[in-house]
Amino acid sequence: MLLLAPVDVLNDLLLRFFSDETVKYFIWPLIQIGLVVTLVALWVAYATYLERKISAFIQARLGPMRVGPWGLLQPIADGLKLLTKEDFIPEKADRWIFFFAPYIAVASAFIVFSVIPFGPDWAVIADVNIGLLLVLAVSSVGVLALILAGWSSNSKYALLGGLRSSAQMVSYEVAMGLSLIGALMFARTLSLSGIVGAQGSDSIWYILYQPAGFLMFLISGIAENNRAPFDLPEAESELVAGFHTEYSGMRWSLFFMAEYAAMVVVTAVATTVYLGGWYFPFVYRLEESGYHNLYVLVSVLVFLVKASIILYIYFWLRWTLPRFRYDQLMDIGWKWLIPSALINIVLSAFAVFVLQALNGWRGIQTIEGLDRGMNLTATGKGIMIAFGLAGLFITGVLLARINWRSRDFNLKTQRRNIRLVNVPKGKPARA
Amino acid sequence: MVLSGYEALFFWIFALAAIFAALLTVMARNAVHSALFLISSLVSVAALFVLSGAEFIAGVQILVYVGGVMVLFLFVIMLVNVGAEEMGREEIFNKQKQVTASLIFCLLLVGGVLYAVSQGYPALQAAQTNKRTPEKMAADQAERDRSLAVGATGTSRITADTELVGGSLYRYASLPFEIASVLLLVAIIGSVMLARTLKQEVSADDVDPETLQEELALDPELAKLEPRVE
Repeated sequence: MLLLAPVDVLNDLLLRFFSDETVKYFIWPLIQIGLVVTLVALWVAYATYLERKISAFIQARLGPMRVGPWGLLQPIADGLKLLTKEDFIPEKADRWIFFFAPYIAVASAFIVFSVIPFGPDWAVIADVNIGLLLVLAVSSVGVLALILAGWSSNSKYALLGGLRSSAQMVSYEVAMGLSLIGALMFARTLSLSGIVGAQGSDSIWYILYQPAGFLMFLISGIAENNRAPFDLPEAESELVAGFHTEYSGMRWSLFFMAEYAAMVVVTAVATTVYLGGWYFPFVYRLEESGYHNLYVLVSVLVFLVKASIILYIYFWLRWTLPRFRYDQLMDIGWKWLIPSALINIVLSAFAVFVLQALNGWRGIQTIEGLDRGMNLTATGKGIMIAFGLAGLFITGVLLARINWRSRDFNLKTQRRNIRLVNVPKGKPARA
Repeated sequence: MVLSGYEALFFWIFALAAIFAALLTVMARNAVHSALFLISSLVSVAALFVLSGAEFIAGVQILVYVGGVMVLFLFVIMLVNVGAEEMGREEIFNKQKQVTASLIFCLLLVGGVLYAVSQGYPALQAAQTNKRTPEKMAADQAERDRSLAVGATGTSRITADTELVGGSLYRYASLPFEIASVLLLVAIIGSVMLARTLKQEVSADDVDPETLQEELALDPELAKLEPRVE
């Protein structure tokens, strides 16, 4: 493959100057990190372009058209404009925290890309045992940036935005983590490359086993990113711009970049865990025919296309749905998403138990092997997909039943209607 | 675990960072700054966990403490009015009782650590001279590493810590685990019930009618708080 020979040529060239170990453990990872940061920054820049274009098409407009053909150079023009703008710090602001908050936001969004498998072989920077945990942990640090930005600005709108964001992100983080557990039962590892490998070796996407889990992850991911319809921390019509009201110039654009990078992170994780990552049917034939580098490149392309489709859903939802009210937001998080994630865990565990119980019963074979995730036979897959679809239905019915008139079942009604035998009624504290 | 090379370098960096961040947590005038230094301290400790091969604990530390607990800390600090300490008018270290108490506890801690180290060091020495030389330990470590699966990058190996933690937690410690979670649940419900005062409950119309009558007899002011029925 002439087109991709440079990778090997560069490797040979590096080996001439450095030792084998330095090249393998230090220089190549640095090149990978540089490439990923550049590409993600570009992706983020063009995500803003796409957002404007898609919103324009949804509202029957044309969107940016002036800079370059179809406005393609608009993100670059925007970036240059923001760089040259005045970077204003309010007089009563806490200067240091005001200064650092945007960097925390960007860092927490970009660090996650170190463990995301964009493809096989050299398209992975690091493959660690706690991959998915690291993604959740680092992206949960992002909320700190919003709170600190909101507090340090010393402005009422910013403070309200910061408070809202902390309450929202802390509640949706729980649902996000819990919704992934179902898929992990089949992958049997937290390593993101391991999860892709498990789906590849089983020739299945986990969205088929876990449609409910995928939906929950996507909803809590959108809420975690503070995107419309969950964009209460920056609700324009109530809070001006929420936590970044007082920010301007480059620091403001850092927040913007962090928001889009965090969106890309959620889409990348959703792709990896539920849509098979870089794995796609028949692409491995390229590897078999000896085009290794082309195979890696096509896999990366597959990954990007899958992630972009989910990113499109983000834009689509933002421009077609109105913002939730605050009590609705908390209701969705605590009364719907967290219980449904718990139900999903129980149902998935039950499904796995049924598979294991059926295996070997009257000659039925369901499980092929457990060394690379849970490999199922065609029968096993059929049972799992049926369980997945039934799970959607069961979760929906159960939750509708639990939340049926949940507003009437509050503290007051419990105090008045539930009478425990021989237990004195509780009195509230005096103050 | 014997640290050498880059591991030792990073150990010293993160250990010193953890100590100084903890010191600054106590010394900062502004409560939000204190919380930030506490976060730095927690992150440094997470890095130390990674260095000692406990990645899972490190991940959970950041997820729970930095992403959850500290966010709620900041949430509370922002809602509470902090007065003179923040403006810098008041001395922080002028309360002799507190300073003395903390110094005594600090001395106790240092003494305890020194005692533990002096007790453990001879045993470590003896173990090393007997059979566990550094070379032997390195060879053992390499042997254990070889049994692990190769990662997707081809240059690293995937550890099995998380599986070990999960296995031992749910196989051998499932009862304590469940007891701890029930305890946490009770604590959550209890704190919600304790935090609501009578005035708040009356204004939200959450008080039982009989109880309300009893309380009104004691404090007629409460009637003003009662919501009007439309």
